Amino acid sequence: MIKIKYEQLSALIDFLTESYQVYAPVKHGKETAFKKISSASEINKSKYNTSLNPKDIFFPQSEVMFTYTKNGIKSPPEQGKPIAVWGLRTCDTKSIRMLDKVFANAYQMPDKEMYKDPYWIARYKNCLLFSFACNEPPSTCFCNWFNSGPYDSSDSDIFVTDTGDEYLLEGISERGIKFLAGYPETSQADQTDLDKIKVLREKAESYMPPVVELSGLKDKLLKIWDDPVWDELSAKCINCGACAYICPTCHCFDMRDEGNEDKGKRVRLWDCCMYQLFTKEASGHNPRELSTYRVRQRVMHKYNYFVENYQQFLCTGCGRCIKVCPVNMDIRQIIQKILTYKEV
Amino acid sequence: MKELQNKVKQLLNDKEVDLVIGWAKGSLPLVSTPVFITEAEQAEELIFDHTCRNNLATYLTKDRKRLGKKYNKIGIIVKGCDARSIVLYVTENQVKRDKVVIIGVPCQGIFESRKIINCTNGREVLEQKIAGDQVILIGRDFEIKVSREEVLRDCCLSCRYPDAPEYDHFIGEHRGEINVKDEFKIVEDFEKKSAAERWQLITEEYSKCIRCYACRNVCPSCYCNYCFVDNNDPQWIGKTPEVTDNIIFHLIRNLHLAGRCVDCGACVSACPVNLDLRPLNKKVEKEMKERFGYTAGLDINEKPAMASHCENEKQDFIMG
Repeated sequence: MIKIKYEQLSALIDFLTESYQVYAPVKHGKETAFKKISSASEINKSKYNTSLNPKDIFFPQSEVMFTYTKNGIKSPPEQGKPIAVWGLRTCDTKSIRMLDKVFANAYQMPDKEMYKDPYWIARYKNCLLFSFACNEPPSTCFCNWFNSGPYDSSDSDIFVTDTGDEYLLEGISERGIKFLAGYPETSQADQTDLDKIKVLREKAESYMPPVVELSGLKDKLLKIWDDPVWDELSAKCINCGACAYICPTCHCFDMRDEGNEDKGKRVRLWDCCMYQLFTKEASGHNPRELSTYRVRQRVMHKYNYFVENYQQFLCTGCGRCIKVCPVNMDIRQIIQKILTYKEV
Repeated sequence: MKELQNKVKQLLNDKEVDLVIGWAKGSLPLVSTPVFITEAEQAEELIFDHTCRNNLATYLTKDRKRLGKKYNKIGIIVKGCDARSIVLYVTENQVKRDKVVIIGVPCQGIFESRKIINCTNGREVLEQKIAGDQVILIGRDFEIKVSREEVLRDCCLSCRYPDAPEYDHFIGEHRGEINVKDEFKIVEDFEKKSAAERWQLITEEYSKCIRCYACRNVCPSCYCNYCFVDNNDPQWIGKTPEVTDNIIFHLIRNLHLAGRCVDCGACVSACPVNLDLRPLNKKVEKEMKERFGYTAGLDINEKPAMASHCENEKQDFIMG
């Protein structure tokens, strides 16, 4: 484990930018988001998660897949340097790894090249994820429900602890260890630093809510799939897409052709199961016409279908959806209601 | 609070209503949550305070007016602005007046959770207390006092009609019409800017929109069965969150709200990226007032401005 002082951060970011495109949390209007930076001064240091999610780095909200003219089609420009992301929280790192399973290791056909998404891979390949310990998880966090926690370093390339005046960097993956070994001018962390981490960690963990046992959730959901309880669960949802667009793990998309017969582009855009149009068929029929079915779909995808395919929940407990929901649909309450519900 | 709960209990017990839509305590300290009450004992959950930001009238038209099909008579708890939305529904033939029982509550203004977060420098508020004109915000390691004005929503600061203009029951004291002087100040300030400055402000603000449509979906006046953005044959608008498409979305929605926006602030409170959607809405509201002498949702017998015509209306847009 190595340590760098706050004032040495700019040297680290400069070093990173030599071989990586560096993304970090920055101010974005009145909110915070991950954007490409060229120097450490742009970074927004906050104890909390960014308000917008980091999936946008690897899976942009709108992405040109190709452009066309009468003479043929043209691929988008090459990605260039690999991507490094500074300032992720452990939950966000986990969400990126989950998306990689979907886009690059699709369960349905693990060995078929055709199921590997080239757009995702172009960005994700050789990426370096700096994942931060959460010293002060806000009250909306519930990552500990998913076998994780504010100091969970698994899935990181490099795990960073912010001690208040310095960063302690620990290589976790092979790529992370290699990067740190190649970084000049470092001092090694000592026992005092490890003690500091221990204190911070205990404090952070004390902020977390009691763990809710989720092992029965997947099967319970299947049991109540056509139960009237969904009417009650979905009653207040107004079917906007704020939760899905702010969620680091939601990954449904739509593809559109924009242009005319002479030239144009095909774009891939985030889409959301909360919208009517998401499932509206060419005939005009919509299998998920009612809000109830759409809410059920989102819950089922996160806590049943994805578990079926990838053996983990499609949720990291980051709490963003709880913060932004205009009608205070709290996913924690929904999960708990489902778990304790006696089906009819 | 008790009076409100008792009134709702009585309405349900007397079968005067089959359902009551109100607010209950939310899961976070700064927000309430809509609640649907069918049994008298559930009425204990009801609250009304400065966290009740949702315009509950939205639920009368949501999901193809599903609630109206399921329940014969719906009771709904309303602030002044929410009641105006119901008046609008009646004048636009969306809701029958005798199918709703309007329960007015005296609104002292609603807090904007993002303004509160600004006061604490982004630190999370875990508890808030009201002490006279002051609000005490309490977090893990701080306690700060701010004035109510600092954290009230912009629309509440310039609210003229805090009381429901139309109601069946009113709980508490009426506040009456408030003589606000600078109701349209944000519009006037905006109008003073040069065209280039206005364009820059609009493009900067709307470039951040993520097109989640939270503003549209919480809006009581946005009740089209098929919104123009949800139409893909023909496709009226590009779906990319690029500034041009974002502006088209917001401007069309904005124009469609002409004479229909009650300035309830629901869209501003709902926006996950905190866009200030209000100046444009207020601009259209001002135009309607100046051109047609019309303010939405005040008179249940008045025809909607866009559905009626008077000879003495300004016609300079036609005649040049």
